[in-house]
Order: sequence, then C-alpha cells, then structure tokens
Amino acid sequence: MIVSSVPIWAVDVFGSICMIILAFMCVRLANLLRRRDRNNIIWTYLFWVCTALAVFAVSRSAGHILKQLLILSGDASEWNRIRPYSGAINTLTFMVVGAITLFFQRSWSIYRQIASDKQDLQATRDKLLYLNQNLENLVEARTEALAVSEHKYRRIFETSRDMILVTQMNGIIVDVNPAGREMLGLHAADKKPKNFQQFFSRESDWRSVRTSLKEYGFISNAEIEMLCNQNRSRTLVSGSLNHSATNKAETIHFLVKDIEQKRLTEEQIAQADKLASIGQLSAGIAHEINNPLGIILGYTQLLLRQEGNESEKYHDLKIIEKHVRNCKGIVEDLLNFARTSTPKKASIDIAEALDEVLRFVRHHANLDHIEVVRDYDSKAPPMRLDEKKIKQVFMNLIMNATHAIGKSGRLWLSTRYLPEPEQMIIQFIDSGYGIEDRNLSRIFDPFFTTKPTGEGTGLGLSVSYGIIKNHGGEITVESDLGRGSIFTIRLPYEETQGELHHATKHSDCR
Amino acid sequence: MKRLLGRTLPIGAIFFLHLAAPLSAWATQGHGQPEGLYAHQMAHLFFIVSMGVLIYWLRDRNLIAIPGWRFIQYSALFFILWNVDAYTAHYIEEQIDLLRIVRQDPWRIEIQAPEGFRWLPYLYYLAKLDHLLSVPALIFMYLGLKRLLNATDVDKGGIRL
Repeated sequence: MIVSSVPIWAVDVFGSICMIILAFMCVRLANLLRRRDRNNIIWTYLFWVCTALAVFAVSRSAGHILKQLLILSGDASEWNRIRPYSGAINTLTFMVVGAITLFFQRSWSIYRQIASDKQDLQATRDKLLYLNQNLENLVEARTEALAVSEHKYRRIFETSRDMILVTQMNGIIVDVNPAGREMLGLHAADKKPKNFQQFFSRESDWRSVRTSLKEYGFISNAEIEMLCNQNRSRTLVSGSLNHSATNKAETIHFLVKDIEQKRLTEEQIAQADKLASIGQLSAGIAHEINNPLGIILGYTQLLLRQEGNESEKYHDLKIIEKHVRNCKGIVEDLLNFARTSTPKKASIDIAEALDEVLRFVRHHANLDHIEVVRDYDSKAPPMRLDEKKIKQVFMNLIMNATHAIGKSGRLWLSTRYLPEPEQMIIQFIDSGYGIEDRNLSRIFDPFFTTKPTGEGTGLGLSVSYGIIKNHGGEITVESDLGRGSIFTIRLPYEETQGELHHATKHSDCR
Repeated sequence: MKRLLGRTLPIGAIFFLHLAAPLSAWATQGHGQPEGLYAHQMAHLFFIVSMGVLIYWLRDRNLIAIPGWRFIQYSALFFILWNVDAYTAHYIEEQIDLLRIVRQDPWRIEIQAPEGFRWLPYLYYLAKLDHLLSVPALIFMYLGLKRLLNATDVDKGGIRL
C-alpha cells in the first residue's frame, strides 16, 4: 500500500522537539525540588532520572531529526553512516534511564530512614528545648508535688493512732511515729538506739515474727503481747520487708495496733454473759428453795409458840429458825443477783445515800484508821433509783474496801455527773492489797470469795452487780496488786418527774 | 617465605613459557550486524522491566495516593507502552521477508506485505507514530514533578512526598 509519510514525519520531528523541551523542563523542576531540600535523596533520585531522560531525549530526538532532514535532502547514505552511532548512543541512554529508575527502592529506604531519624531528632530537639525553657518551672512543680506527697504520707505517719515503725533487719528502731513512741514509752530526746525485740513480752514471738518475714516477706495481724510503758498489752502486729533498688531487704515496716482495750471489752462482755447465765440458773434454784424454806420457817415459828422459853426443844427450834433465816437471806441475795424483782425507784441524792451508808458503817465498824476522802460532784442531779438496793451496793463496796485496806489506808469516794451522755459515775477507790489478775474475771461470780470460810458468802459483789445491772448501769473493777482497787459504777440518768436538774444542796465535800 | 617462593615460582615459570610460545586463543569475539539490534531490543525490554518495577514500588508503598507520584506512575506506564511500540516497530522493520518499504517520493512511501499479512503495514504505520506515546510520558513526568513541587510549597518540612 502507498501512504503519505507526512504524519510519520510530522510526529517524529515535532515529537522529538517536544521530547527535548519536556525533558529539560522536567530537569528544571527536579532541580528546583532538589534545591528545596538538598538532603532529600528522593529529589536527588528524581533529578538523576530526569537528567538521564533528558540525555536520552536529546540523543534520540537529535538522531530522528537528523534522519528526517538527511532523507528529505536526499542524503540517505549519509544517514546510514551515522545511524549505528545514533542507535548505539540511544541504546545506552535509555538503559541508563532504566538503571537509574531501579534505584528507587534503595533511595526510598534511605529517605524513610533519614525522615524517621529527622523526626526523632526534631522531637528530641523540641523536648530538649522545652525542658531547657521550662526546667526551672518543671523542677519547681516536681518539688512541690514531692513536698505535697511527702506531707501527705508524713501526716499519715504522724497522726496515725496505731504505731508505725521502721526497723533495721536486726530490729534496731530507725523511725517510729508519735503514737508508737507513746505506746512504747520512748522519749524523743532519747537518742540511744532501741531494739524492737526488747518490747516483746516473749522472745519466741519475736523469733516467729522474724521467721515469717524471712519466709514470706511479711507478717499479717499476729496477736503479740508487748511491753508498753512497762505494762503488758495485747497488740496486732503486721509487717513487711522493704526492698532496696537492688532488691535487697534493708528495713522492716511494722504497723502495730493496740487491742488491749478491745480485748478487755470482749472479756467484759463474756463475763457479763457468764453472769447472766449464772443469774438465770440461780433464780430458778432460789425460787424452788424459797418456798420450802418459808414452810420450814412457818412451822418452826408455830412450834416455838407452843414451847416454853427455857426448854431444850425451844433452843433447838431457835437454831433451826436462825439457819432457815440465813438460808432465806442467801436465797434473797441470789434473787437480787438474778435481778428478778423490779426496782422500786424514787428520787434520791447519791451523795446523801453515800454519807448515810458511811455513817452506818462507822457505827458498826471501826473506821478510825481509814482516811475517808469524799469527792462529790456538787452539780450532780438527783437520781431515780431503788434507794434500799443502791445503799446495799454502797454498803457492800465500802465494806469490801475496808476489809481490803486492813489496818490503815485511804478510801476515796467520788461522784461525777457527765452531761454527755447523761450518766452518774461513782467510784470507790481504796489503797488496799488489790486483786490478783487471775481473780479479776471471777470477782462478780456468785459464791466467789477470797475470804476464809465462814467470813463471807461470796454474794456481796454478785448482788451489787445484779442491782446495778437491774438499774441499767454497769459496774467495773480495776486493780493494781499491792496498791489498791477501783470499783466504778456507771448509772444512766433518768429524769425525775417534776424535778429538773438542779444543784444539790451539797457543796464540795472534799 | 620459602613456602611462598615454592608456590610462586612454578606458576611464574608456566606464565613466561606461554609468552614465549604464543598460539591462537580466540580471546575476542566478532560482532555481526544483528547484535546491535538485539542489544537495542534488550535495552527496550530492560526499560519496560525497570518502569514496571517502579510502578510496582509506587503502588506497594501507596505513594500513588499522592497526586505527584500518581502522575509519575502514569508516565512510567506510557514509557512501557512506548517501549512496546518501539520494540514492535524495530521488529517489523527487520522482517525483510514479510515487509518491504519503498520510498516513492519525499512525502510518500509504499509498504509491501505478502498475502495473508495485509494488516502488517497498518500496524507498522501506527508503530512509527511512537512519539504519540513518548511525549505524553514526559508530559505526565512533568505534571508529576510540578505537583510534587507544589506539595513541598505547602509542606515546607518536605517530609510529605
């Protein structure tokens, strides 16, 4: 087929010219990009690709234009001479373009690495700049935060009601909070190092604490008896090892809670429960015995009326009557202890009642050798109580005190009215020989007595306990062997009808 | 030292004996006319492969989401098409048994093809218009670079490509 070669010629010539122009425009842009950031390897890569393309475009286009011109001028033979050189250069140039193009992967990896490093560097620089500019403020803020934190934990340490203690591994006390100092009886001025071990009543307890800490790293709520201010006190001890940065145990942190008071309260509750049970039992027995005793007494008195005063039978019946009356007295005491009868309450003045009992005791017992100190609260209001029974309690306690004091000593009677809660506190403090620890828990038990046989029934304190409980109050005892005892009665205030709180006519009787 | 001399001396002796008695070693190879064409065609294939690899890398790194690189991808695609076209044109030109081109005058040519290959002249004619592919390839390259340059104007940090 015969066709026009004009389109081929035109596309070849104009295309070649366009290629040269466009290739150099690309080189210019790539160069501009490269100048923007000379460290950017991707721009350098594009610059070299474009440069290679430009060389390729020039070599190829120049060859094509020359070819067309030579053919048109009828110099085709000249073109045939140049053609191999043009073709060879052309081959080389686009191979170079292809080769450079294949460097994209490596260039991109390097670019990403540099960009990442640059970002990291920039972030680090920004951070350093920020730290540099704000170092003072940051240090100040951090110091303040530390101070607040230190203050917070210091407050916990200082204000804790329980002992917080830091010791070395051998038990030497490093630091102790005020509650701990008070509990152990340590003085801040005393700089001599103390060992925590010396405050353990039993050495075996310290050994078991050490063993637990060694094996488990902690000890939790171990009940240990400690010597607090020379007194034995039951405590709950928790502790843990404090490890240093090198994970080496350096100190022991202890938390010690004094549970003596709690345990005493629990014992008192147990004691009250025990006495209540005994009271119920006693009441049952007393009722059963009281009736036959009444019949025996009745018949004895009937027989006595029929007998002459001097007969032997009359004397025998009198002995029976006396012992029956004793038995009835004991039964009545048991019933009082068991609180079976309702108290006949009337408004009485405690101070007056105490004085009356005291006068009665003075008549029947020699109190000359005992110094009696009366310390009555002048503002105490009258109380609604069963006067007869309350006086019986006072009588029992005063008589017990005089027996405990022995030849000489002091008896302190005091009353205190507490408005909040409304309560009257009456104390009988003697300087007698005191009560042994082992007897303290049994002192209110019926028939418990330390007196020789025949000198006491052991019902006095039980009866007193029953009467006070029957009035909604409580009676407690504290004793220090060889120094005396304190009996404390707490009676709830019950407002009397038509009577308001008023100062009693008694002034301070001290 | 003795061991070194003991090994070097026999090798040196053999080398000098060879110089003393030269023979035809056929050390260089003669290159006839077709080799230039083959080298040129292989260069076209290499160009195709390199542009194909570039497209793969651009797509693999999702750079085509950036307009500048997307245009460079189009440029690479047109270069592949141009190479295919040029390869085809060169191949047809060399098939002298099938195709004869006779210049009738400066502006007309006659393309002769045997019976059964009547389509070949058309293909050859179209293939000769290869600048219709190479010029767009460079235009896309230019547009791509232009977009990248504009992008660096926006993002002075030059991190985004």
